[in-house]
Amino acid sequence: MMTFDQNAFLIIFTASLIAISCGLLGVFMMLRKMSMTGDAISHAVLPGIVIGFFISGSQRGLEVIIGAGILGIFATLIIDWLRQKARVQLDASIGITFTLLFAVGIILINLLAYKVDLDQECVLYGEIAYLPIDLWISDSGFNFGPRITYLAILNVTLVVAFITLLFKELTLTSFDENFSSVIGIPSKGINLALMSMVSYTTVSSFEAVGAILVVALLVVPPSTAFLWTKKLMPLIRLTCGLGIFIAISGYYLAYLVDSSIAGMMVAVSGILFLASVLINGKKPKFTWELPWNKSRLALEDKQL
Amino acid sequence: MITQVDNPILEIHDLIVSYDQSPVLWNVDFSIPSGKLIGILGPNGAGKSTLTKAIMGLVTPSSGYVKVFDKTLEEVRSKISYVPQRESVDWNFPASVLDVVMMGTYGKLGLFKRPGKKEKDIALSCLDQVGMMSFVNRQISELSGGQQQRVFIARALAQEADLYLMDEPFAGVDMSTETAIFHLLKEMTAKGKSVIVVHHDIHSAMNYFDWIIMLNMHLVASGPNDQVMSEEMLRKTYGGKLNLLTKVTDLIKQKDFNPLKS
Repeated sequence: MMTFDQNAFLIIFTASLIAISCGLLGVFMMLRKMSMTGDAISHAVLPGIVIGFFISGSQRGLEVIIGAGILGIFATLIIDWLRQKARVQLDASIGITFTLLFAVGIILINLLAYKVDLDQECVLYGEIAYLPIDLWISDSGFNFGPRITYLAILNVTLVVAFITLLFKELTLTSFDENFSSVIGIPSKGINLALMSMVSYTTVSSFEAVGAILVVALLVVPPSTAFLWTKKLMPLIRLTCGLGIFIAISGYYLAYLVDSSIAGMMVAVSGILFLASVLINGKKPKFTWELPWNKSRLALEDKQL
Repeated sequence: MITQVDNPILEIHDLIVSYDQSPVLWNVDFSIPSGKLIGILGPNGAGKSTLTKAIMGLVTPSSGYVKVFDKTLEEVRSKISYVPQRESVDWNFPASVLDVVMMGTYGKLGLFKRPGKKEKDIALSCLDQVGMMSFVNRQISELSGGQQQRVFIARALAQEADLYLMDEPFAGVDMSTETAIFHLLKEMTAKGKSVIVVHHDIHSAMNYFDWIIMLNMHLVASGPNDQVMSEEMLRKTYGGKLNLLTKVTDLIKQKDFNPLKS
């Protein structure tokens, strides 16, 4: 039995916004071969959340987002340092960094348990279904509507602004980091800015989809879209489209089997990815290597 | 044999570079004149790429300094261009040939600004110079090795610099591309640009370069082609690889003989 009411709309709308924010950043993380750094960041922000929560005394405070942002950048710096100075493999340095910071977060939650009412399950799994009852009510008692939706709108606006402003820098540093340093574009600064945006997006989204599933939204839609197109703008558009599709289908499938919406969204994106691999896996990737395709390409060249 | 020059375009003073405490470049000290096509020769692991990276500020030297146009790198960044090794990037990246060549203009454009018509025109004229006009909208994942190299050179041209550093631009490219690129480099030096090329083929080096730097962790030689290219210098650079050396000696004896041109 399918229904479409105000709550359904709010949940699908918010989930789409979160999927779009994550997907946009995820495209550049994927192109930098740093998708798993996104995973590391999403876990490493936990101590920042706990400390921010401890200072502000509320889960909604700005301190939480700032704390998480700082820890996200800190994690990126440690990963870079381990890789470049201590010469640890990238995957190992990611594994060491985020497990350590995550463990610190868990210890902090337990140590501060009497002061911090932070639900570990909420941080890890999130629950977007509670969104319509989690309202933003001003001091004078005015009801603005669901709080997480506002967070998602603000987040997607900032992410879109960030990518629009730094589009050429993000593309260049993703393609050829050395060349960008040589021509004087601060590749390290751009990288840290991107990591800060990922940290902020993770924190902004974790109440809705949780710290684990947010990783899937960062990694899976861009990877799926990359199987279909090799052009940057269509890749970005397709990633956003997939985000919206995942939100809609995830909501109704979860409704159908009465299960977690975020879980269903990620399951749908996983299935979409597998289907794309199966369909595209049959096509040869490098057509120019095949002699019978060369004549076709030569023809294209003449038409150009 | 090291020839120092007055008013050098590039001056390297007592440069030492090491990775993990093991030095790859020892006391490299030379200067080069402007408007020349310069080749850096040496065996594998001689530190040729490291030297270009040190000049471009991509590796930090343990001691010594690099001066370009008698200034530090930071002051003259926009006048120097760099062509990295082709394998240093992932060619599966979603970009068109034009997108990549436009990247050469980003340094002058500055932060936040979008490339416009002017940058596009520069990129198109650079693609024309390397003979890639018919590939403007092709995705870079669909290019052959030689075409990738031409795109990288076009990107460097789009920087409109005065000094060009190219790291192995002839690795894995076919003979016709190699000749075409060498002709382009000659044209550039005729216009007063200086081009430094890391190269591994002694034979073509003899024919094309005006000035040659021989390197094997230490600097072996730096000077005009006809003065530097001798059996003694090559023996010092390449060590006991006699098999190769006898071939080279033969080639030197018949300096004008080029089997690929006759």
